[in-house]
Amino acid sequence: MDRVNPLSRLKAVGARAEPASEADVLAGLLQRAGRGDQAAFGELYDGVSALVYGIVLKVVRDPSQAEEIAQEVFVEIWRLAPRYDANRGSVKSWIATVAHRRAVDRVRAEQSHRDRNDVVGRQLERDHDSVSELVLDRLDRTRVLNALDILTQDQRAAVELAYFGGHTYREVAALLDTAEGTVKGRIRDGLIKLRDHLGVNQ
Amino acid sequence: MTNDLHHLAAAYALDALDESERREFEAHYPSCAICSAEVSDYRETAALLAESATTSPPADLKDRLMAEIGSTRQIAPILPDRVVDLAERKRRNAPRQRVLALAAAAVVAVVGFLGGLQVARSGDDLDDVLVAVDAETLPLEGTAGNARVVWSPSEDRAVLIASDLSDPGTGRAYELWLIDAGGPNATGLFRPDADGTVRIQLDLDGRSPAAWGITNEPDTGSDQPTGEILLIGEIA
Ligand SMILES: [Zn+2]
Repeated sequence: MDRVNPLSRLKAVGARAEPASEADVLAGLLQRAGRGDQAAFGELYDGVSALVYGIVLKVVRDPSQAEEIAQEVFVEIWRLAPRYDANRGSVKSWIATVAHRRAVDRVRAEQSHRDRNDVVGRQLERDHDSVSELVLDRLDRTRVLNALDILTQDQRAAVELAYFGGHTYREVAALLDTAEGTVKGRIRDGLIKLRDHLGVNQ
Repeated sequence: MTNDLHHLAAAYALDALDESERREFEAHYPSCAICSAEVSDYRETAALLAESATTSPPADLKDRLMAEIGSTRQIAPILPDRVVDLAERKRRNAPRQRVLALAAAAVVAVVGFLGGLQVARSGDDLDDVLVAVDAETLPLEGTAGNARVVWSPSEDRAVLIASDLSDPGTGRAYELWLIDAGGPNATGLFRPDADGTVRIQLDLDGRSPAAWGITNEPDTGSDQPTGEILLIGEIA
């Protein structure tokens, strides 16, 4: 009953000559891409490439590797586009999920090649960098960064190490020298707070 | 363990589960209405986090990508027609497949992805149950709404399709019970969408149902039904 078909909404919006929301435009482009429309896919790329490349780069750090993964992500999106269903979530959410998952899988596959004892040491080094980087991050980019301010320091560290650092909650617990259950709880509480603050709701 | 699973949605949405937990959670959440709603919410939240990290890629990436997709085949969409055809084909052997064909068409038309990489899998899974050779379908009776269960022993899974269900209330959820010789077995906790519809799949875990029933329970689930049976269907 509350559900709006995005296609009919796009049409209705067009008829009234109101600007379509970004989410609707992206959904329309992805739908067309799903029917094999490469031009639409190119436009979709223009709309979300900075999102994909940005999150992949944040996780893997290395620009040339990030570029390679971003390309794989977009090929995957092209391949799966015919199955996209707007009722299940926004285009950006889906694409960010695919991108983040692939970046994390790459980082973890490489980690598993290294000596286990070595891993913790390197991670610690890496993440001291990352934490200070995050602290130094200019907080003026989006409302999201402001929203992160509503988290407690502990919640923020857990969410950022997990998402931007690409760590499992167990790794985050080791990095912060905190119990796993506690970290899991901080991630959950932090996301709930962000979700409510950012007005994400089904 | 099952209780723990319900608390993994946030870590899962951030890809912060290790391999084995991820697999466990992915086996659980598509059939858990609460977890799947949470995953979808948290993924939207994570996408906003990603937006705080946007960085423009090198300009030549687009050219290479467009060249690659030019030679990359897309997967087939989930077509209601295709599923009906399959079901129709089976109907020749079994009259009850007609009902199944209708159910399949209705479900598959709205089957989507449960976020990200679950896309194809959840759709295919539902198809598999609905068009399985040994699929059985049973309407549940009662005043709480319309519901039917389609299940397949060979797939070892069931799909519950319901509409016109009211909100179960704060802190409450519906629970589907598979009733066999040993009594009722909890198979899935769910909440209807805003429009009162439900489409979930559940594991049979090798059990053969003698009846299916739905009750209203605390959203943490119950081992045995505590509420009155709202909808029930017995296998003749
Ligand atoms: Zn659950």
